[in-house]
Amino acid sequence: MAETGRLSAPAAPLASPVTLVRIAIVAAILVTWEAVAASGLLFRDVVPSLLVIGRATAGLLADKTYYWHLGVTAGEVGIGLLIGGLSGLAVGILLGSNRLLGRAFEAYLYYLGPTPKIIFFPVMIMWFGVGPGSKVAMGTISCFFPVALSAAAGMREINPVLIRVGRSFRASTWQMVTKIYLPAMRLPAINGVRLGLGVAIIGTLLAETKLSNRGIGFLIINAYSTFDMPRMYALLIVLFVLSIGVNAVVGRLGGVDSIRRA
Amino acid sequence: MSSVTRAAAAPRAQSAAPVLVVDGIVKRFETPDGVMTAVDHISFDVAPGEFLAVIGPSGCGKSTLFNIIGGLLDGYEGRVAVSGETLKGPHASIGMVFQEESTFPWRTVTDNVAFPLEIAGLPKAQRVERARHFIDLVGLSGFENRYPAELSGGMRQRVAIARTLASEPKILLMDEPFGALDEQTRLLLGDKVLQIQDQLKQTCLLITHNITEAVQLADRVLVMTYRPGTVKRMVPIELPRPRSSEIVSSDAFGRYVAQIWGDLREEASRGMRDDEAHRGGGAP
Ligand SMILES: Nc1ncnc2c1ncn2[C@@H]1O[C@H](COP(=O)(O)OP(=O)(O)OP(=O)(O)O)[C@@H](O)[C@H]1O
Ligand SMILES: [Mg+2]
Repeated sequence: MAETGRLSAPAAPLASPVTLVRIAIVAAILVTWEAVAASGLLFRDVVPSLLVIGRATAGLLADKTYYWHLGVTAGEVGIGLLIGGLSGLAVGILLGSNRLLGRAFEAYLYYLGPTPKIIFFPVMIMWFGVGPGSKVAMGTISCFFPVALSAAAGMREINPVLIRVGRSFRASTWQMVTKIYLPAMRLPAINGVRLGLGVAIIGTLLAETKLSNRGIGFLIINAYSTFDMPRMYALLIVLFVLSIGVNAVVGRLGGVDSIRRA
Repeated sequence: MSSVTRAAAAPRAQSAAPVLVVDGIVKRFETPDGVMTAVDHISFDVAPGEFLAVIGPSGCGKSTLFNIIGGLLDGYEGRVAVSGETLKGPHASIGMVFQEESTFPWRTVTDNVAFPLEIAGLPKAQRVERARHFIDLVGLSGFENRYPAELSGGMRQRVAIARTLASEPKILLMDEPFGALDEQTRLLLGDKVLQIQDQLKQTCLLITHNITEAVQLADRVLVMTYRPGTVKRMVPIELPRPRSSEIVSSDAFGRYVAQIWGDLREEASRGMRDDEAHRGGGAP
């Protein structure tokens, strides 16, 4: 665990060849995009010029209702992550600490884990309605599996002597969880939460694009159905940037303290 | 003063009410080759304040016995009693120091040593103060805020010892606590343990495969046989107290070592023959 913590942060110099190639790739894409837009080869509005998209992005960022929708989605993802993450952690710890339960139940986790969770959406609508409830449920289901699997694996990797130390001092179950299991498995657990956050965002947005009247997913599908392509691209760009930001923040959580303590 | 009471403790072992009774312990393990008896009818008593060393070749069942007395292993025959009370799980008056590296890597030295106090629910200020005391006792002052990864193996082992001492157990159980250390560090840490035991008037059960260590520290040495683990001999060590590591060069010390080595050599060579046979059989 210690090694991955140390190795995962290579210090890249600012203008390394890799960075230059990356910049070149982005530039090439933008130029091609602009060329296609100007050529009129595709239907005019499907590939709007960068200038138009830029203007739509600025307009979006100045729009108060956009922030309201963003708040709705963020809230749904947050609650989904909270419920799914905590229950995933609890189930993972239980399965990881009990060999019989682990053997019996983990097969289901492995089968259900990679199943696209959107197939549960109709059921969730019936259970929780078309409002935010069903979106939260989608986020919850999505992030439960990676968190539970990482937590179970993390539990099994705990140095068994540390568990015996806790038992020899007669720690209660709760003390074992909070003072030994969780700190000992924090790296795999944080990794699970990171994966969980990613799929919670996907699950929630996907659900919003299917059936809803609020949230970023709704805005995107709304822009699409009113054929407001610049606005749709603007939404995608903003979403893309936000996802990168969130992922970087969660990644930090895992890396920072591993240097001295792992 | 403690040397006087302790010197008297060994002969009294059989008469004074023992603080620890191990009575007819048998432990079997299921292995792929069938049932293996790791510990076979081991019985002994430990008097209050006594230092008992258990010595035996690798694989003879010492750690198994340690875990049973510590209440961490069940499914055995026989009975363990602490102050007359039959053991069911880890006992409050027993503190264990493990053979393996056992410090919590995510806790500083202070927080490691304060762990049992945290479990007991002591307020933070008191925990830190008590932890300081035991860190000082094992000679680690100045390292309070270091993490285990920043310490040497010997220092980490001292942290583990301080952590167990901080729970102030009546009986200190140690499983090869100096196993991974070099001879010099081992001798000096042995001195430290004797000093501390004198100060705290603890009963000690030390598991080791090092004869020098056993004779240096113990009032009695229990020699175990190899597979199944039984009591081969109980050797009272009548060397004056207080002892320090300098005693290892005395004649009397040499005689004890020679006697125990005589017993152990047979068992150890049986163990090695076993291992070789196993290896030979396993190879295609
Ligand atoms: N959980 C287990 N399942 C099966 N066999 C076990 C188990 N634990 C221990 N054994 C076996 O019991 C025997 C005694 O093991 P134990 O760990 O008590 O030895 P030891 O005397 O402490 O050895 P060492 O000095 O090397 O630490 C060994 O042969 C070991 O393989
Ligand atoms: Mg052992």
